[in-house]
Amino acid sequence: MNLHFVKKTQRSLFPILSLLIAFSFLLAACGPGTTTEAPAPTAAPTEATAPTTTEAPKPLPPITILINESPWLAGFEALVNKYVEETGNQVTLNRTPFNGMLEKSRNAVQASESEFDILTLNEQWYMQFYADGLVTPIKDIDPNFQLDPQVIEYEWATRWDPELGYSSQDGELYGVPINGNIMLYFYRKDLFDAQGLAAPQTWADVEAAAQKLKSADMAGYVVRANPPNWEFQAFLASYGGSVIKLDEQTGEWEVTFNSPEALEALNTWLKLGREYGPANYADNGQAEMIALMASGKVAQMVLVGASAPDFDNPEKSTVIGKVAAVPVPGSAPGMNATMSGIWVMGIPHNLPDERKQAALAFLNWALSKEAQLFYAQSGAIPVRQDVYEEMADDPKVGWWMKAMADSTPFIHAQPRLAETPQIIEVLDRRLKQALISEVTPEQALSEGAREIHKILTDAGYKVKPLAE
Amino acid sequence: MNTPLNSSSVSRPPGLISRLGNFIDRTFQYWTIAPLVITLLLLMAYPSLQLLRMSVSEVDIVKGHAVWEFVGLKHLETALQDPVVPVALRNTLVFVIAVVIIETLLALTISILVSRSHHLVGLYRTVLLIPLLVPPIAIGTMWRLMYDYNYGFINQALAVFGIPGPTWTADPKLAMPSIILVDLWHWTSFMFLIILAGLESLPQELNEAARVDGATESQIFRYITLPLLRPTLVTAVMLRTIFAFKVFDEIFLLTGGGPGTATEVISLYIYDVFSGQFRLGYASFLALGLAVIISVFVIFYRRLGRRTQI
Repeated sequence: MNLHFVKKTQRSLFPILSLLIAFSFLLAACGPGTTTEAPAPTAAPTEATAPTTTEAPKPLPPITILINESPWLAGFEALVNKYVEETGNQVTLNRTPFNGMLEKSRNAVQASESEFDILTLNEQWYMQFYADGLVTPIKDIDPNFQLDPQVIEYEWATRWDPELGYSSQDGELYGVPINGNIMLYFYRKDLFDAQGLAAPQTWADVEAAAQKLKSADMAGYVVRANPPNWEFQAFLASYGGSVIKLDEQTGEWEVTFNSPEALEALNTWLKLGREYGPANYADNGQAEMIALMASGKVAQMVLVGASAPDFDNPEKSTVIGKVAAVPVPGSAPGMNATMSGIWVMGIPHNLPDERKQAALAFLNWALSKEAQLFYAQSGAIPVRQDVYEEMADDPKVGWWMKAMADSTPFIHAQPRLAETPQIIEVLDRRLKQALISEVTPEQALSEGAREIHKILTDAGYKVKPLAE
Repeated sequence: MNTPLNSSSVSRPPGLISRLGNFIDRTFQYWTIAPLVITLLLLMAYPSLQLLRMSVSEVDIVKGHAVWEFVGLKHLETALQDPVVPVALRNTLVFVIAVVIIETLLALTISILVSRSHHLVGLYRTVLLIPLLVPPIAIGTMWRLMYDYNYGFINQALAVFGIPGPTWTADPKLAMPSIILVDLWHWTSFMFLIILAGLESLPQELNEAARVDGATESQIFRYITLPLLRPTLVTAVMLRTIFAFKVFDEIFLLTGGGPGTATEVISLYIYDVFSGQFRLGYASFLALGLAVIISVFVIFYRRLGRRTQI
């Protein structure tokens, strides 16, 4: 046998295998992915049901919410329990770690019917769901729906303008905010007071404080290096710069990541990070920064507002009552800038009308002032300005709720295009390279700008020529 | 010598049933394995072909439906202009070459020592197997904590001796060596197990005969053990190379590709393009490119294995 048989077998199997491979090609070509055109939207606008005064309200269908496991989850669970208690409507929570949220959301909107009635979408990826029609415009569910003006829209993260391909004020309402994460500037008030320093208003104030407070055991400032884009964009906005800019008259985009303002912002950010940061300044993410502040190893930093409760947590913090918060400083007084890092909730496109109605009923209730006050008291980050202002006097959380209220006029957003994840990848890579001196600040900005220009051009946007 | 045939010795052509029986007899082996072959081909070929198809397409999900657009070699053009690709390929090659060479040498040394030991062989084998049993996610987390500049065990241990600990994962010069060290800890035992099995299966008679002829231990290793072990070594190195090209967990958890681009490898970039940027077509193209590079190495190792057979 054996060699002869094997060779004979190989020869005879060859045509069979060829046939099978050809068959597989055929299967691949006929697979479900062969759709070349998106089907016409089937969800016609539905009329809102007029409430009847004679009948008791019928309980709505149960809903399931995809929600991320994060520090504010407990507050959201409390909010949901209150809703169930008050209305009798049933809500199920699907708790998922951050890294699984995007995949679960994508899978849900690709199914024939979504398993979730509400998706919790992050600042970084909600645009893809809006742009591709994967969540339902709110007015398609209830044409009379109006967002309360006290609900902060975080530079229109709630809206999408299909013509511009951008979140703009004139866009259609696709989602509502549910977690109002923005950045705050945190500092060690006890140390500042001891040195006679006031709360910084400008980056120059921050640097002066860092110089005085830096020691062998204490970093004067710590930058967020993993990922760096979010914090840097606050610096950039505080110098009047931006990554890209839309000319609403001509509809043309301009890449401004290589502007003189960007260079000033980057130099300030690098100086604070390198000269006043800990030895591992290029290695700190949000968790490490919280740990540094909570263990008394850093004097000041810019971080998400939601981290404030950690500094008051006796199980984690050695600096309880010693940390204060104010709006993120600017390049000059009044040039403060904070970045939006919020979560919005959207209703999938692939749901029957009654499930969409039930989902919207929950969102409508959750955005009410009473619900938002309860939400804030339960440890979550509300999304209403009147709630922040009311909570500013709270003895427990007032110290940072006031900073949140004061920060609202300074909220900026990262680029909000369907291509944002690609742009963010460029920002993170180029900023990290600059931070570890792999490239010069000028190179980081000019190379980054060139890449962003290409991303926009390839995606078909009208883009102004890149300024050198 | 030819012999004349008489009419009685000439057999009549077989009938249809007889021919069918013969055909079934001849091809019986194929029919028995056909279901398995078909299943395997469908399982392997279909996803591979889908990957191939995606790599020449732009794929978007609109209203829950995949929208495919054939783009030919556009992704190749994108890859050639993508500044991350050459950096990621260079880092991947550095990683692969470093871990494969060091792990092979380490595993070979440990295997020889263990195979010569007459005591506690089972214990050595069990202890050395432990890193292989730990889930990669736990390994990444564990080493991340150990490497931590402020609170990590390594720097705290160095501090006891008055040595200031470095920033293991934040220093561009140290980040890749730190990753490689974790990989050595994780994967050397894999190589050790394969090489030890190879060593234990070698015939001892040749060694004994060589000793009788006066050969030294180093001569025995150089001229008998190593040549006999080559097929095993080639297999082990080939498998390890394939796994090393696909490294993801350790780097994702320890450095996320940073600092800067110091530890950006191709698998990590494919993940970011696919999952973060949702560019399915381009990510498929990169994945296919990685598969082609790995295939080149596999072909090289197979040829090397054939050439070194004795």
